[in-house]
Amino acid sequence: MFELIVRRCVSAVPLVFLVSVFAFILIKAVPGDPVDVLLGTSEKDLPPVQVAALRHEIGLDQPLPKQYWSWLSGWWGAGELGRSYRDGRPVLEVIGERCPATIALVGSALVVASVLGICLGLLMAATSSGIGVVSRTLVVFSIFLYSTPGFWLAFLVIFAVGRWLPWIPVIGLHSPGQPVTLGGALAHLILPALLLATRRAAKIALFLRALVMDEMTRDYVLVARSKGLSDTVVLVKHVLKNSLMPVVALLGLSLPALLGGSVLIETVFGWPGMGRLAVEATFGRNYPLLLSLVVVYGVMVVAANLLADILYRLVDPRLRDSVDDPMLTGTRAVSRAV
Amino acid sequence: MHSNPTTVFGAILLVMLAIVALTAPWLAPSGSSLYPLTVDLSIANCPPGTNGHPLGTDHLGRDLLGQAVWGARASLAVGILAAGIAVTIGTLWGSLGALVGGVVDTVMMRIVDGMLSIPPLILLLALQSIVSTPALAEVLPSPLLGILRVTNWSYGLLPLVVVIFVVSATNWLEAARLSHAQVLSIKQQEFVAAAQAIGLATTGMLRRHILPNAAGVIIVEATLLVSDAVLMEAGLGYLGLGLGPGIPSWGGMLASAQMSLIQGNWWAAAVPGMMITATVLAVNLIGESSLTPARSRHRGYAAAS
Repeated sequence: MFELIVRRCVSAVPLVFLVSVFAFILIKAVPGDPVDVLLGTSEKDLPPVQVAALRHEIGLDQPLPKQYWSWLSGWWGAGELGRSYRDGRPVLEVIGERCPATIALVGSALVVASVLGICLGLLMAATSSGIGVVSRTLVVFSIFLYSTPGFWLAFLVIFAVGRWLPWIPVIGLHSPGQPVTLGGALAHLILPALLLATRRAAKIALFLRALVMDEMTRDYVLVARSKGLSDTVVLVKHVLKNSLMPVVALLGLSLPALLGGSVLIETVFGWPGMGRLAVEATFGRNYPLLLSLVVVYGVMVVAANLLADILYRLVDPRLRDSVDDPMLTGTRAVSRAV
Repeated sequence: MHSNPTTVFGAILLVMLAIVALTAPWLAPSGSSLYPLTVDLSIANCPPGTNGHPLGTDHLGRDLLGQAVWGARASLAVGILAAGIAVTIGTLWGSLGALVGGVVDTVMMRIVDGMLSIPPLILLLALQSIVSTPALAEVLPSPLLGILRVTNWSYGLLPLVVVIFVVSATNWLEAARLSHAQVLSIKQQEFVAAAQAIGLATTGMLRRHILPNAAGVIIVEATLLVSDAVLMEAGLGYLGLGLGPGIPSWGGMLASAQMSLIQGNWWAAAVPGMMITATVLAVNLIGESSLTPARSRHRGYAAAS
């Protein structure tokens, strides 16, 4: 088991490396010369000797692998290339300030999505016997919810809350004029987390329903029924356990979508996280910051998938010693769900 | 393919949206009160049902029905073209990798996995910042710019090209992974071995035997990618990085809806969102069979082998 975890961690390294190389390629593809951007003028206006000196100072005359390394080390302030254009600070410092807000938002959205999604999914599965009008309605509702962009819903919610429930905080991390407190930040977190979670919750619910209904056709359910167990007991004690496991994998694979969605939700709610930083960096043409954000996001997703992978093995003893990637076996169905 | 009522409903909805998009120049011709680019501040924030403006106007007095209709044109163009390009590139990439196998395949799929670990919107932002419209206007040859109606004072249709490029560059990954898995499972079947035994070349094999068998799954994937692309255009447009004010689109409507909302005009926000939801819903209803166990099994276990 331990060996397996180590092996999976090692296999995550090339992925992170690939992401960083990709970001580096993008940084080299940026239109215009970094020297121009740093100087704020076109290098044509300067004597060539000075331009060459500046290029040498930043390291632009070095071979590409060396530039790549200098870019990476610039993140924590050791080189010139990886600094934010806007204020010249190391990018990791800038991102570090914004990171906690995004993790709080995405983390709570994940919790909200899984609680709501599992409840809704179970409700759909439990009501699907008989005529199933309730179940059918819930399915249509879930598909509808899954089709609704969360950030658009957020517009309408902010508008409605502002008009009818003005005491619910909506914008930013803290109320204007007040210091940031934990309680205040949590109150401000409720709506963004809920609206980031809506589509995901619907997806989890539909997925869980499909899994439960699939599981219901198995022989052990027939055995349990013929023993005289009630539908509820069969569902809760037998089927649920088996159906919830792929949901764990889905939660891990939900991270890219949630992190992506958080960019929009953070912008709508003025939430001071990495997503807004990325949008600001895009508008400010702050390429070093934007492309190091690409890598930081990539690392977060890879780490989350790794965690889900390990968690999945812990939950399902059958997989504990198997070398296969559980994401690649029974649960590959969820790959689309991302 | 079985026809179930929800699938049929989704298909009808999508066809209706497509008809609206195609007939926009006749439904809301320039010069009529519905034309979406006509700014008239004297009729700003008209509520729905106002004479001549069935769905009302936004904070600049632009008609919302006209914007929705013309927006369908741009948004569905992005959706369908980007999904088409993404599926084509993705399928080629994935199936070639699976057919060739070995180190080449590992490298190809690792690239896909690596890029898939970047959240879609972040990838969109990064690509958009580099393939920006002004940068592209300098690079492209002038005959092409003429076709895209780029002039000194307008970028014409160039933003559309940029958004389609950026969205398909983000979307092809999922298609590559899916078709890779699909081709791997088909490759193990006996008729492929038989075709190999009679000496069919790789390309012939791909065309004659593998792609036709993978077609069903790939078509479902393409449909779902249309909804992803529409949502991406909406997100980009809302952030102000989409098609810009010259080309009415649902994403652009969402961006200006923020200003309308401040003035108490909620319907300007409601209209584009409902159009997007209708499109995504239609696509999801068509693909709903892919959400049911049988299909997800198919998708899932095909990937496993």
